[in-house]
Amino acid sequence: MKTFKLENEPKIATGFKTPEDYFDNFSAKVLQQINENEVKVIPLYKRKKVLTMAAAAAVFIGLMIPVVNNYNATSKDLDEATLENYLAYQSNLNQYDLIQNLDTNDIQKLNKNVAIEDETLEDILSSSPNIEHLISE
Amino acid sequence: MTDEKEFIQQLLNPKTQDLAFQKLLSDYQKPLYSHIRNIVLNHDDTDDVLQNTFVKVFQYLKNFKGESKLFSWMYRIATNEALTFLNQKAKISGITSEDLQNKTIDNLKADSYFDGNEIQLKLQKAIVTLPEKQQLVFKMKYFEELKYEEISEILGTSVGALKASYHHAVKKIEIYITTN
Repeated sequence: MKTFKLENEPKIATGFKTPEDYFDNFSAKVLQQINENEVKVIPLYKRKKVLTMAAAAAVFIGLMIPVVNNYNATSKDLDEATLENYLAYQSNLNQYDLIQNLDTNDIQKLNKNVAIEDETLEDILSSSPNIEHLISE
Repeated sequence: MTDEKEFIQQLLNPKTQDLAFQKLLSDYQKPLYSHIRNIVLNHDDTDDVLQNTFVKVFQYLKNFKGESKLFSWMYRIATNEALTFLNQKAKISGITSEDLQNKTIDNLKADSYFDGNEIQLKLQKAIVTLPEKQQLVFKMKYFEELKYEEISEILGTSVGALKASYHHAVKKIEIYITTN
């Protein structure tokens, strides 16, 4: 069998044909497609933008629900105990500041609360190592 | 090169754009048609891919940096479009792109836009047996008569590697035609 050599053969063409006047109309076809794309692209883009924003808003609201619920729940718990703890541990208020804000009514109330019996008082005084110092004053 | 820069400016300027793009179309429609037709083989598919190619060229013109020549940039887009088209078509049909090419070659005889004789058909059948890269190189060198330097810019492969690919392709084609 004769060995086929591409370079020894006359140039072989592809054999492909195109329809007549295909290239005459081609430019117009492409330009039309480009124009159609340009017209179409704008509304699609805008609609997409609105949808994206709506979705973002929905997600944001969804994420805020637990936060808002939590906020309401904690605000009700701010009772006297919490306030007292805060003042005792978190603030700069000390005993002297508190005393300065007491009026006569408060002192009378305190007196009633601290109704100590004589014997108890005696015990306290006798066990206190500063008793002599106090007497001499 | 300065002419090309000027032409690219015309393509980007809204005032001169329409006229410049028409010139681009008339200059490149035939070579790019042949290039795509050699890859996808049938006329209707080539028509689709060629239109998509020019639409993409128009869309991406503003991003064209001028790092490569307009010529090789457009050929690159056309090649990518054609190969992507083939892969998608094969995927839709549920077959490999090699099987798809074989099927298309078998249908060539019945294609009204193919009037090849026996040796032309045999050559097409031989090309299909090659790996994708060798097919591309062979078609661009033998049918489209592009220079190695041009093919190198389009495919991003060194001239040396292209020469080797072409040499392998020719050898395989000669063996195929001799034995079939």
